[in-house]
Amino acid sequence: MLSLRPEEDEKLRELLTELNRESKSKIVLLIDKAGQLISRSESPAFSSDDITFASLTAGNVAASEALSKLLGDKNLNHMFTETEDEGIYMILIDDKYILVSIFDKNASNLGIVRVKIKKYYGKLVELLRQIEERIESESSVTEQIDVEDIDLDTLFE
Amino acid sequence: MPFINFATKEINCKIVYYGPGLSGKTTNIKWIYDHIKPENKGEMITLATETERTLFFDFVPIEVSNVKGFKVRFHLYTTPGQIIYQASRKLILKGVDGVVFVADSQEERHDANLDTLDDMLENLKEYDIDIEDLPLVFQYNKRDLPNVLPVEVLRRDLNRWNRPDFEAVATKGIGVLETFKEISRQVLQKLKK
Repeated sequence: MLSLRPEEDEKLRELLTELNRESKSKIVLLIDKAGQLISRSESPAFSSDDITFASLTAGNVAASEALSKLLGDKNLNHMFTETEDEGIYMILIDDKYILVSIFDKNASNLGIVRVKIKKYYGKLVELLRQIEERIESESSVTEQIDVEDIDLDTLFE
Repeated sequence: MPFINFATKEINCKIVYYGPGLSGKTTNIKWIYDHIKPENKGEMITLATETERTLFFDFVPIEVSNVKGFKVRFHLYTTPGQIIYQASRKLILKGVDGVVFVADSQEERHDANLDTLDDMLENLKEYDIDIEDLPLVFQYNKRDLPNVLPVEVLRRDLNRWNRPDFEAVATKGIGVLETFKEISRQVLQKLKK
């Protein structure tokens, strides 16, 4: 089970925010391959629904990966989607996570984004591995969660 | 695999609605989406063909924030039911925390139910997910149609693990909420273990 401690959340957020600033992206997201949003840069101007974005990105990557396997290719490393105004660059990390940069093509370009991701890639991998090691060394995190009194009736109109 | 963020106090879980083509998976999550309070839901995504058949998946994020201290976010997914989309179905099961198997109660669709269940077991095996360990609920849908099989037959053939099961008419919302509540309860229960 993947979990983030407050200090890890902060470190991840700082790293992604720094990468976002340097690459002049609109936002940088860290997603797991199942479609969960793990962290994102501080990007108040980004108004799209990041949860939905994470789910679609994971679907997109999964489909492309399956395609490349079908072609007998090795694993997918990265992919790029372009709209009229924006570029979306996705790169796989440790075959478990997806790092995504969304950038305005008038403010940045694929080259800058890739160079800046390269600069931060090592740090990000190291941080994620530290988190995984901490998770493995813990016996249980769930005793710190109180989910007893969940009332789903209040969800509905 | 649930994802817990202790900083933002969020728990994220993935629930997949699995079943044969046209059994009502999308109808289930669409009903939930339409009846949930706006503040508790995100955007619904549907990747469907022009004839409204699911092509890849549907997605609905639901947020429950009245849990002591923690906010639980359920991500509901449906799979494409048609046989030809086997590869896509497998992709969606990745990291699943709970499954709702939506069966079509009509007699002529029973073979499709059985085939899809086999397909699901195969896919779970490939992800090393033990079904004995997986939160699972069965729903026998379309109970309002004339040519339905008795629940006992559906239960015997599909619900081999004696999991909670519900009769439903998803188009009218009958049994939809009960099914969702049960799978959510199981997923959270497993989280506590």
